[in-house]
Amino acid sequence: MIEIEIDGQKVEAEPGSMIIEAADKVGIKIPRFCYHKKLSVAANCRMCLVAVEKSRKPLPACATPITDGMVVKTRTAEALAAQKAVMEFLLINHPLDCPICDQGGECELQDVAMGYGKDVSRFTEGKRVIKDKNLGSLIATDMTRCILCTRCVRFGEEIAGIVEMGVTGRGEASEVGTYVEEHLISEVSGNIIDLCPVGALTSKPFRFKARAWELNQHTSIAPHDPLGANIYIHTRNGDVMRVVPKECESINETWASDRDRFSYTGLNAEDRLLKPMVKAHGEWQECDWSLALSTVHKQLENIHQHCGEDRIAAVVSPNLSSEELYLAQKYLRGLESHYIEHRLQQVDPQFIPTPLLARERQASIAEVEDMDAIFLVGCDIQREVPLLGLRVRKASLQGANILSLNPLDFHFNFEQKAQCIVSMQTFLFALAVWIQSELKAEELKEWPVLDQLIKQDVDYCGHPDERALIQAQIESIRKVFVAGRQKLIIMGALAINDPQASLIQQALLWLAERYDAKLIFLLAGANQHGAVLAGAMPEQAMSIVDLWHAKLPAYLLVNVEPELDCTHPALALKALHDASCVVVMTAFVTEKMLEYADVLLPIAPFSEYAGTLVNLEGKRQAFNAAVHPQGEARPAWKIFRVLGQLAQMPGFDYDTWTEITPDIPTEASKAPLSSLTERYRLPQRQAGLQLLPYWPLYRSDPLVRRADPLQRCALSADPVIALHPETAAHYGFKANEAVSWQQEGHVATLIVKTDPSLSLDTVYWPMGFSETACWGALAPLVLERMRALEENE
Amino acid sequence: MRSLKEIVKSFMLWELLVGLKLTGRYVLSKKITIQYPEETTPISPRFRGLHALRRYPNGEERCIACKLCEAVCPALAITIESAPREDGSRRTTRYDIDLFKCIYCGFCEESCPVDSIVETHWSQYHFEHRGENIMTKPMLLAIGDRYEAEIAKARAEDAPYR
Amino acid sequence: MKDDSIFELSPQDKTAIDTWLAQYPADQKRSALIPALHIAQKANGGWLSEAAMKAVAVYLDLPQIQVFEVATFYSMFELAPVGKHTLCVCTNVSCLLSGSDEIVSHLKKRLRIDFNETTENQQFTLKEVECLGACVEAPVLRVDEAFHTHLTPEKIDALLAELEKKG
Repeated sequence: MIEIEIDGQKVEAEPGSMIIEAADKVGIKIPRFCYHKKLSVAANCRMCLVAVEKSRKPLPACATPITDGMVVKTRTAEALAAQKAVMEFLLINHPLDCPICDQGGECELQDVAMGYGKDVSRFTEGKRVIKDKNLGSLIATDMTRCILCTRCVRFGEEIAGIVEMGVTGRGEASEVGTYVEEHLISEVSGNIIDLCPVGALTSKPFRFKARAWELNQHTSIAPHDPLGANIYIHTRNGDVMRVVPKECESINETWASDRDRFSYTGLNAEDRLLKPMVKAHGEWQECDWSLALSTVHKQLENIHQHCGEDRIAAVVSPNLSSEELYLAQKYLRGLESHYIEHRLQQVDPQFIPTPLLARERQASIAEVEDMDAIFLVGCDIQREVPLLGLRVRKASLQGANILSLNPLDFHFNFEQKAQCIVSMQTFLFALAVWIQSELKAEELKEWPVLDQLIKQDVDYCGHPDERALIQAQIESIRKVFVAGRQKLIIMGALAINDPQASLIQQALLWLAERYDAKLIFLLAGANQHGAVLAGAMPEQAMSIVDLWHAKLPAYLLVNVEPELDCTHPALALKALHDASCVVVMTAFVTEKMLEYADVLLPIAPFSEYAGTLVNLEGKRQAFNAAVHPQGEARPAWKIFRVLGQLAQMPGFDYDTWTEITPDIPTEASKAPLSSLTERYRLPQRQAGLQLLPYWPLYRSDPLVRRADPLQRCALSADPVIALHPETAAHYGFKANEAVSWQQEGHVATLIVKTDPSLSLDTVYWPMGFSETACWGALAPLVLERMRALEENE
Repeated sequence: MRSLKEIVKSFMLWELLVGLKLTGRYVLSKKITIQYPEETTPISPRFRGLHALRRYPNGEERCIACKLCEAVCPALAITIESAPREDGSRRTTRYDIDLFKCIYCGFCEESCPVDSIVETHWSQYHFEHRGENIMTKPMLLAIGDRYEAEIAKARAEDAPYR
Repeated sequence: MKDDSIFELSPQDKTAIDTWLAQYPADQKRSALIPALHIAQKANGGWLSEAAMKAVAVYLDLPQIQVFEVATFYSMFELAPVGKHTLCVCTNVSCLLSGSDEIVSHLKKRLRIDFNETTENQQFTLKEVECLGACVEAPVLRVDEAFHTHLTPEKIDALLAELEKKG
């Protein structure tokens, strides 16, 4: 720490830090445009010129490192004259269109111009005009307003890892642009809207909708991924107008992912449910809450009375608040049923959710960037939890070695030291190879499954060449991983949703134990962690597939569209159609719901109620209601409260949601760290094509699917399936061919794409589309190819 | 003595004569009363009456939905909603002025960067039904179209003093 | 700017770029960008088409925007088809004071074109450039890769005649 003096104030700062950092620390304001604490120093706007003693000229505060005893004056006549001169130059080409500019009222240039600008320009020559760029459906451009601070360019290069924007031309002809239009392919592109100090880059969905001074700001938590990014919801007259990130260094830094930022556009979708509805004699009728709730109460009570216990199942979204999940399970257990499930995409019930594991192994989000070695297992981190992906990239840039075991090469925006690309069912073999290399022969005997795996490796891994390749790849991964001091293993959705998830998990737990590595399990949804603590899962080991198989007379769905959100949609729809009573609590109605449901209850989406969410590191964060519930929608916890009271169950007399929170356990009873024992049976290796279901970034939950700008952006996925070119050739498919697929009597015609980054025999199958929804998405199910329909006819 | 003076004055109707003196003066002087509504007093070009939204000579509405008038209005009488028009320009989709709230301070006119919202010289209007006090965008534009000549003249007369 | 032209680096071009690449660390391919663009420009008939820039980007493993940034920054890279000879007149202070105005108007009159235009016979393209770094010999004209200094209208006529003769 060295001491400098700024405007007569003594400031202590790190040696090597810049004057502007020291000044910011004590709240001395130096005007700036190009400087941003999260980006590299460009020093090209020159707005932060300050007078430094013993320097003949004013120096840029953002690019002048401090030295011991430095005396800085930010407001001397010299400094102010320099700042004013710079301001005049910046305003030369900036259009005076603040009244029609969305940045007006929250514009850094406008603010600084108030302090440093002249009221009349001395520049009488022509101003330059720059053609607007088309950056897709999320970002609107008015490039004439650009002051060439290059924050957006640096964000792309340094943070997001997309080099798509750049400064072209020189001198007066310089302009910020992209080479290929409409091509901002980044899951975090929206951040350049916040970074832009002027109105050159603004939000397209928010364009011309409201002014900064009309908006009310409410703190909230993003409800789409387990990171728990802090956000502000901006509202006007009871409408959500936009979402912007709230700075939280330990979680989302200053960023927000596009999904968190633009999902609000789905809030007022056309199919929003605003009134309770009941089906009477096959006709849907709107009704009041008392009738709807008493109908639900009577039907469920009836089934409870006549069919006995465990005959009612609740399928709840993992994005609900902990309070809702807690009351949901309390209500269901009050009806003597344990069938409550929030793990919509997982098929292996033995997989241990994070809260049940030892906390010491759990890595915090901030820790990720300090790691030396990160091992990704079945994880598309960039498109699962975009902001955690940024942390991994940051670690990579700081010299960490990133390794992966994946069913396809995801082409991350960071470099990978070594990777092993194998089909999902070969994962266990790959991990067994690793463990085997660490264990002695007699130790191996204690691990029957492992022993079995290694012995059957021929079965498991097909060709000996392939086996040798995997062994070589795993060996190189192992070497790099072991060399790291701080190690982290991240298990992603593809592995967690796999039928062998628990075995993979056990192997990873063993590796973590062996190497003293930290762990992150990327469970889908914003509040899976909280759901486990709230008890929203059955005590016995059963998965959601078992719930559908159980053919229960009553199902209760909360914020779930089973055909799009759940694994094995065909089975789910069949079970729902066969059930005698299906109660759906939802914010949006789908056509399928109108077919299978008996009662529809409108619930409030995240912006309209308050509660807590527990993120992947176990941090409980509260979010607030930004607006009143639309129509007659109510928070789900209030609905459960009334249902509980109607059923005269004890413990439902809460007045506010804050009274519920203390009742939710903060710790779950930990599962013992078992080894790969015999209680795990090794699944049979399947021959032929393997279905690998995945949820594309913008198909992950009902709200996101209704966010039109996200659906139209460059990163939005199409319902097309992908195959390795060799696999496609083997089965006689051509790229971009429409192929009919048949499985258990369901037929779907989908376009086939070939992608050499996939592993062999893997059918990369996007979920969350109505086109792919008829499918049973369990990996071992083999797809049978029919000839294309056109050929048949 | 004093009472005698009073008696003489009262008998001579002195007070009446004093009063008639004033009457006489006004009988002979120039008349200042007017026959409203047939006649009206002259109005300053700055007079702040009923509001109007103006157009450019090519028929394009001036308002760009910057919402400065809404922000500056001390009586919160203005409500604006905006959206991009088909051609991409920034336009209002709603522009309401509540004449019950309006205090005719003229701040909206002062704040307008494009001279769109103005207060005309027109002050003779009434409402018969509840709800008529809300002036909508088409109504305001219609007033602007109708009085454009006078509005423009008033702005031109006042221009040297601004 | 959209064009559908096709361009591929020939093996000779690739070898030429490789010799430049060899001078820089293996992970600093961006360093060889300017020479690579020169090679591509020459191969593409004196200008850089979108396809040519893309080919360089692919060969050097760089994002396309970075190639585009450099190509638009330097005046020696042409982004539109040019004539056989490019005449670059300096109009900066030193040349201006030494009479570049006269040179420019003479050139314009002689060639019957304005700045950034090409003569009908596709022989000459006239360009206005910033300081060429030869102020002592102002006014200066750069024709392709050669400097012509202490210019007068007579010298220009002689020069153009010579270039026309060469064809």
